[in-house]
Amino acid sequence: MLQEIRERAQGWVAWAIIILISIPFAFWGIDSYFGGGAEPVVASVNGTEITERAFNRNVNRTRVQLRDRLGNAYDPALFGDARIREEVLERMIRETLLLENSEAMGLRVSDQAVRAAILGEPAFQRDGAFSNAQYEQVLRRQGLTPAAYEESLRRQLLMTQLPRAIRETAFVTDALAERSLSLVRQQRVLAYMPVPSTAFEERVQAPSDEVVAAYYDEHPEQFATPEQVRVAYLLLDATTLSAPDQAIAEATLREQYELRLDEFTAPQERRVRHILLTVPADADQATRAATRERLQAIQEHLRDGESFAEVAAEVSEDPGSADSGGALGWISRGSLDPAFEQAVFALEPKTLSDPVRSRFGYHLVEVLDVRGGEPQPFESVKEDLIADLRGGGSEGIYFEQAEQLATLTYESPDSLVPAAETLELEIQESDWIDRSGGEGLFAHPKVIGAAFSEEVLARGNNSELLEPDPDKLQALVLRVADHREPSVRPLAEVRDDIVALLEAQRAAEAAQAEAEAIAERIRAGQDLAEAAEDFEAIETGRVSRTTSELPPEVVQLAFSLPRPDADTERRIGSTSAEDGGDAFVVVVSEVIDGDPAQLDEAELEAEASVLERALASADIDAVLAAMRARAEIEREPVVSDEPF
Amino acid sequence: MAELTTDDETVEAIKKWWKENGTAVIAGLVIGLVVVFGWRAWINHQEQVGQRASLAFEQLLMAANRGQHDAAVKQTEALIDAHAKTPYAALAELTLAKVRIAQDDLDGAAEALRSAVERAPNPGLAKLAAFRLARVLIANEAFEDALAVIERHDDGGAFSADFAGLRGDIALAQGETADARAAYEAALAGGAGLSRLIELKLQDLPAANDRSS
Repeated sequence: MLQEIRERAQGWVAWAIIILISIPFAFWGIDSYFGGGAEPVVASVNGTEITERAFNRNVNRTRVQLRDRLGNAYDPALFGDARIREEVLERMIRETLLLENSEAMGLRVSDQAVRAAILGEPAFQRDGAFSNAQYEQVLRRQGLTPAAYEESLRRQLLMTQLPRAIRETAFVTDALAERSLSLVRQQRVLAYMPVPSTAFEERVQAPSDEVVAAYYDEHPEQFATPEQVRVAYLLLDATTLSAPDQAIAEATLREQYELRLDEFTAPQERRVRHILLTVPADADQATRAATRERLQAIQEHLRDGESFAEVAAEVSEDPGSADSGGALGWISRGSLDPAFEQAVFALEPKTLSDPVRSRFGYHLVEVLDVRGGEPQPFESVKEDLIADLRGGGSEGIYFEQAEQLATLTYESPDSLVPAAETLELEIQESDWIDRSGGEGLFAHPKVIGAAFSEEVLARGNNSELLEPDPDKLQALVLRVADHREPSVRPLAEVRDDIVALLEAQRAAEAAQAEAEAIAERIRAGQDLAEAAEDFEAIETGRVSRTTSELPPEVVQLAFSLPRPDADTERRIGSTSAEDGGDAFVVVVSEVIDGDPAQLDEAELEAEASVLERALASADIDAVLAAMRARAEIEREPVVSDEPF
Repeated sequence: MAELTTDDETVEAIKKWWKENGTAVIAGLVIGLVVVFGWRAWINHQEQVGQRASLAFEQLLMAANRGQHDAAVKQTEALIDAHAKTPYAALAELTLAKVRIAQDDLDGAAEALRSAVERAPNPGLAKLAAFRLARVLIANEAFEDALAVIERHDDGGAFSADFAGLRGDIALAQGETADARAAYEAALAGGAGLSRLIELKLQDLPAANDRSS
């Protein structure tokens, strides 16, 4: 058999095999042998797969967007993870469907359109114009090559092409816009009559015990109280950590003062005058000695009482100061020749120095005046020290204590007492709260979530450290102090409520029956005033749909009654009395359509464009529904991953 | 095949094999390459044609949106001439219909939409074009034609509620208020577009029975 294979291997079979193997290479490259197939798929649309990886990426992006939009209000527990996943998957299926159909149909995106989209993208622009460097930089930051980016952009554009074509070709005929406006602007002339249920309250019978009991049995949900907890908690709050009236020891302040003495000390400055005899940098020993001696001679003259200013003007070789009597003005450290500076700041004020050597030559210096250098006295900075200690200190103390609080409550999970004693915090108790939250701190979803968590509620442990508002330095640890299972309040407790409720119901029913009776009499031909008996009819004149002057249920009924016609000149209806309010009798005597002739072009155009947009989006939905009906869509049920 | 004992014999055997099969191998290779490259060239050509049509359509849309009606009409003709086999022919007809409406030419719009229905590259788009066609026909009071279009394209699936709304309009125009009411109610129940307008139309109908008169 091996022999046979060897023979065949050199014949046409081998070639056939080689050609077969090479075809996929020619079309799809080496990728078709590796990768693909192994990745988990969450849905497929006509064979196009939505991978779990792409799906999860989209879910995460949606969460981030939600969080950005909602800020602190965002709570993963409130935005059901399953709901987000479901919505994202639906959106991806919709997009895939659109893309798949567009491709199958033969829609394409031209290179010009791709280029225009890139040129128009603000992220790629610098100073309002497209910049190639910027383009490449942005892509590199996202780890994309231009080819990959352009490909994905092309898909994006392809996906939007068909919906855009449908939207932009939607039209509304003038007749349709006119009809719509004439209906929207329709006015009706009516009269209405309130029949208040309060008028019947006295007349209704009190419900019997059996009726009350039956109501109680039939509506247990109305008397249910939800599951509730009362929590004990330790609250750490940076704003109350060091109370404002708490004294800070004088010693502490002194210590701080000494530590920060430099901050309170302005740098010393000295007013100086000098006489300079220059020495060239390359001068020899003898020249220097000679210059020094000359200066010593001048020093003698000055000691003998000659005027410094005059001598300076005469002999000083410093062109900047000679004319002003050698005055250099106020100088501080760091601005002059180091040797000179050292001499200046070592000199007693009002004394003349010996010759001082600097890189310019030899100087005689006199310090005229000194200022600064003394620290501000303790008393004048004391207030600042106190303020700084409180502000800067409390934040540090907060974080330190918060950490301690977390550790202590974790180490003894069945009690808050150790932590309370160590940190000198008071154990506080909340009111009863249910899952919909309570007051203040307990309105926050994180806190509610912790109070009702398995760990805290079922196991009776301390919660972890909770920081409800990230903008505040506030932390708490709570544990359940008391727990109420959901229950139904006993009949005796709610009896009065039920009686009141049933009486209101009966009164409303009576009002409604009366309204209908009045309506019936009007239909039979009585006029309004006669039929109304005790109640008052109100004539409104013309009323439009959007009026806010009449009760909404009157307007609603008035505009849903049929048009009066030749046979029946009036249309009459009655409403029910909602929530123990009023029942109404409504009589429509005339319908006046909005007159398109009275509308100007602008109004018609605005109406047309509103209708056009509504039509366009309905058209897009319907086309997608048609695609969907013909597509083969397989999808996994959405499984929630761990909320984060 | 006998055992090949020497190199010479091996070479000889290969040469012999090549003499017998060489032409076939080369022919096979050539055919293979021609098929592969030809296929790629064909795909490439298709892509180019598609892109040209796509560009022409974008330009047409732009002209239509700017209200350049004459230019849009000419561009539609040119696009259909050059790219009748692409899906853009149907989209161009949809655009032309909008231009015709803007020109108050209901007949022209109907003609363009009829053509769009026929050229539609996808059943969903065919229904869309039919829905728009029926609306134009109703506006033109060609109720029988409109009903015929609706009958042909309403298969109970997508657009069915929208078609029901149009049936209501036709019935109302013909004075059949009971039929109009039923049709509008069906349209609302099926989730037709412009549901608010349909609601208003429904409320505006004369009484179906005299219970509230």
